[in-house]
Amino acid sequence: MIAQFEVLAPKTIQEALQLISGNPRAKILAGGTDVITGFHQGSSRFIDTTTLIDINHIPEMHAITETDSHIVIGAGTPFTHIVENPGVIKYFPLLAESCSVIGSLQIRNRATIGGNFINNAPCADSVPALLVYEAKIRIQSAISDREMPLADFLVKPYKTQLKPDEIVTEVILTKFDDGYKGNFYKLGRRRGVAISRLTIAVFGKVENDIITDIRIASGAVTPIGMRIAELEQKLIGKPANDDSLKEAAIELGKIILEKTGIRWSAPYKLPVMQQVCYQQLHTLVFGKE
Amino acid sequence: MKKFNVVGKPVTRQDAYEKATGTALYADDYTFPGMLYGVMVRVPASHAIIDRIDYSAVAGNPAVTAIVDHNDIPAQKKVGPIKQDQPIFSWEKIVTPGDVVAMLVGQNETELLQLRDKVSVEFTALPVLTDPLKSMDPDAPRIHPQYENNAIVHYPLRKGDPEKGFAESDYIIEQTYTTQFIEHGYIEPEAVIAIPLGKAKGVKILGSIQNPHTTRKVVALVLGLPLTKVRVVQAEMGGSFGGKDDQMNILSARAAVAAVKTNRPVKIRFNREESILESYKRHPYHMHYKVGFTNEGKLKSMRIHITADGGAYASMSPFVTWRTVVQATGPYEVENVFTDVHAVYTNNPYTGAMRGFGSPQPIFAQEQIMDEIALKLGMSPLQIREINGFKTGSVTASGQKLDNHEVNLSTVINKAVEETNFVEKWQKNQKDNADVAKQLNFANDSEANQFILTKDQLIAPDKTWRKGIGLAASYRGCSLGAEGIDVTSAYLSVQLDGSAYLLCGLAENGQGLRTTFCIVAAEILGLTVDKIFYLEQDTAIAPDSGPTVASRSTLMGGGAVRNAAETIRERMVRSVADEWKVSADSITFANNTVSSSENNKSVTFADACGITYKHKENLATIGFYQAPEVSWEEETGQGSAYFTYVYGCQIAEITVNIATGQVYVEKVTAVHDPGTVLNLQGALGQVYGGVTQGVGYGIWEEISVHNGKIREMNLDQYLLPTSKEIDDITAIFIEGKDEHGAWGAKSLGEPTLELGAAAVANAIQNATGTRFYHNPINLEEILLNRKLYPEDLKRGSL
Repeated sequence: MIAQFEVLAPKTIQEALQLISGNPRAKILAGGTDVITGFHQGSSRFIDTTTLIDINHIPEMHAITETDSHIVIGAGTPFTHIVENPGVIKYFPLLAESCSVIGSLQIRNRATIGGNFINNAPCADSVPALLVYEAKIRIQSAISDREMPLADFLVKPYKTQLKPDEIVTEVILTKFDDGYKGNFYKLGRRRGVAISRLTIAVFGKVENDIITDIRIASGAVTPIGMRIAELEQKLIGKPANDDSLKEAAIELGKIILEKTGIRWSAPYKLPVMQQVCYQQLHTLVFGKE
Repeated sequence: MKKFNVVGKPVTRQDAYEKATGTALYADDYTFPGMLYGVMVRVPASHAIIDRIDYSAVAGNPAVTAIVDHNDIPAQKKVGPIKQDQPIFSWEKIVTPGDVVAMLVGQNETELLQLRDKVSVEFTALPVLTDPLKSMDPDAPRIHPQYENNAIVHYPLRKGDPEKGFAESDYIIEQTYTTQFIEHGYIEPEAVIAIPLGKAKGVKILGSIQNPHTTRKVVALVLGLPLTKVRVVQAEMGGSFGGKDDQMNILSARAAVAAVKTNRPVKIRFNREESILESYKRHPYHMHYKVGFTNEGKLKSMRIHITADGGAYASMSPFVTWRTVVQATGPYEVENVFTDVHAVYTNNPYTGAMRGFGSPQPIFAQEQIMDEIALKLGMSPLQIREINGFKTGSVTASGQKLDNHEVNLSTVINKAVEETNFVEKWQKNQKDNADVAKQLNFANDSEANQFILTKDQLIAPDKTWRKGIGLAASYRGCSLGAEGIDVTSAYLSVQLDGSAYLLCGLAENGQGLRTTFCIVAAEILGLTVDKIFYLEQDTAIAPDSGPTVASRSTLMGGGAVRNAAETIRERMVRSVADEWKVSADSITFANNTVSSSENNKSVTFADACGITYKHKENLATIGFYQAPEVSWEEETGQGSAYFTYVYGCQIAEITVNIATGQVYVEKVTAVHDPGTVLNLQGALGQVYGGVTQGVGYGIWEEISVHNGKIREMNLDQYLLPTSKEIDDITAIFIEGKDEHGAWGAKSLGEPTLELGAAAVANAIQNATGTRFYHNPINLEEILLNRKLYPEDLKRGSL
């Protein structure tokens, strides 16, 4: 059941920033796939909201721009546009892949990349890919304009560093050199409209049979999408052989157990996370069959 | 076989345009002047005595036009198809969380939803019974104190000498299988409007109702009105699958009581949560099978004990479990059978009719057992079914000799096997996947957890995907069988311009019977289907034709429509032959014209109607069809349970990720023998939908219950298969020549659903070398051999 509220539709980012400034009961409406369902469920996160600021009429909020060194994605860009963008497909394939398996086509036509990490559900599918690409985000208010790594922005489930008068306007991705490879795996209970049981993104570089760089990020199995820095540190410099990968996968299980404790789903999720991690690292290092 | 003009050809569905353009009117699309809404008041308990209900916090509120509870019911307060155990409004006890004690009625539904929690219900909690296997314990909580125990029904079946049969067996397999609660998942939740028509006329009900005549009966009983003063009209249906029967009867009765009390139209509509909370489910079954067989693979004896969880109310349990007792041994010859099927009360959500109706559960068990026997004897699943499968003249477990119809079991199995190259694939997979069982290696202690793996447990990417292929076959009795009176009527009224009204007493629930019946009438009258206008379902017009259930519409309704159309045709032949002075035999009907081969004369169908009218013949009639005799002996479970049967075989081809437990369904080949296919696209739709629901039953769908309360309260947690879940469904029809109904068109709707879970389970065994006994075979079942459930019902996102 939805109570009555006001909907504002600014045409520029500046206008949106003015509207949200000094209005703590206002929330941004992008795709609405979390906000509207949250209203229906009577979620405590939206209970005080009286104003929605619809950012869909602001062209910059859903533009994807590419330069020699970067791709910048407007935070209000729906997943369908990201999945179909040639630059994203070429330079950030794990992002394209992870966005392509979110919800259904209808949801991807509405839901936005910014909404995915601002909502910060544990199962936000685009987050692990953004984390291994070390995405930065631009956060603006009427009086400030700052950038920060996405990893720092995400605090805990459904909680970020976003202040009430701020809007995330951009996702900034820096291109990598050719030596990097990566994989993404989403495990859901079914193929269509699946909420992830677990996700993993692995991204790294192997030179002369040595793992010279590796980034591993998990989703759904950890409280929020996060990089597993302890594991990455252990793997960097290791020989790129089966044994190292197996050790790493088992280590990941131990780290997650430490982070999450024994939840009801642990008897399934923990062993499976180790299996999936091993398989994704295996494919990264040895290639597909 | 007869050459048809319309039958079996693709035709446009009667309601296609409205549904595709969004203009079809569903119950919730209707509003009436002065209409009020009814909002349910429930009690946060699974089993409790109601001590006192205090309405004082809401009684004076201007949003509340009326408060309706059991005191407002003029006549019968409890209803039910067999046992009248279900109150319209509870007043003595709460026996499951869906129970409703009162309804707030007013103009603003939103305000009522906020007010309903302010009604104070004082109650004394009682011990909650959730395990059906404990329901007959002497100290079990009594759900309905008016009955001496928690038994709903018991069906025995006794044939031959089972103990002698086991003594003659070389092997005996004993196994326990379980299945889960299933939600129908109709896309349109419940909605109904009751409109008071004044003392002289009674009340009109407009709603999303599967069986308008049953609803009429229930509302009339509750209001104490004659049947003629309750007129039930069916709105367009957004799915039912057996689910909009009892549930809608009760909601209609609540709306009607409120409409009479307020003298204003009253609408009740549920959101998804409320729909899942209150509506009945498919029965979970606990099934113990003991099967004896010889070295040669011949079944000698079966002993079967089944307990069905009926939940809080008897509902359709006595009918559902009767089909189970008839079909529990599968389409196989077994000399000696001892079967006991019990349905019992618990405080769980109540269970009733759902597509399949007591067959998907035993098929899940019995078709896996057939594969286990094959594995034990080193045979293929095909061989074991060839040895034991029904042939013409075979005798069923209930002693019925199958000699009055084509017994197509081996035809459908062989067709499916050829189409998929089953035997070769099955044998190869069995060999390739022999290593997986060791990999899965379940701990004996079902609660023992291994959180951290060892290196040798990690599975390399090239070893993780395993192919499996699985087969399941069934026979199914058509229509009601010995569970009820089996007759139908259809009204046909041909107009002078050559168009015609048609209406059968069976209801359009989305299955497409309007189109199918128009095809039958069009074929006989030589019309194109567009000339026939199918009326909306209205109990004031259509004669009661029994419920629209049991995959009986095409068979029974088709028979009645055929009878009506033939009656009109005979009158037209008589008139035209007389007019033209030609023999009746020379008259033919085709392409909207009536011709005689004798004088080579031809007139439009409309002109032929004019001739008939001039000859003072009636162009309207009510057709009738009655099922052949069936019989049943309650004490022994012997008799001719159904007058004819259909046979089906489905083969599932899957890939299992043995590291994660994911099952991908690549292809399902479905071979059925529905007799004559009348409505080709409708038939294909039945297969695609039924296969998908069957696979959903086997892998994803589950209502789980914690202390009587449902965990999966919406479709984010209750996982229906989406259109992406099965890559390919191949439908093949074996058209037999039965004599019943319209040109021997039999049943298809439920046969398509009942096989999927068993075929998938057998395919999973083929992919993993491991047998799983507990449906659904989901991620956790495959990796841990058990289910995992969250400890509480709270969601993180709130």
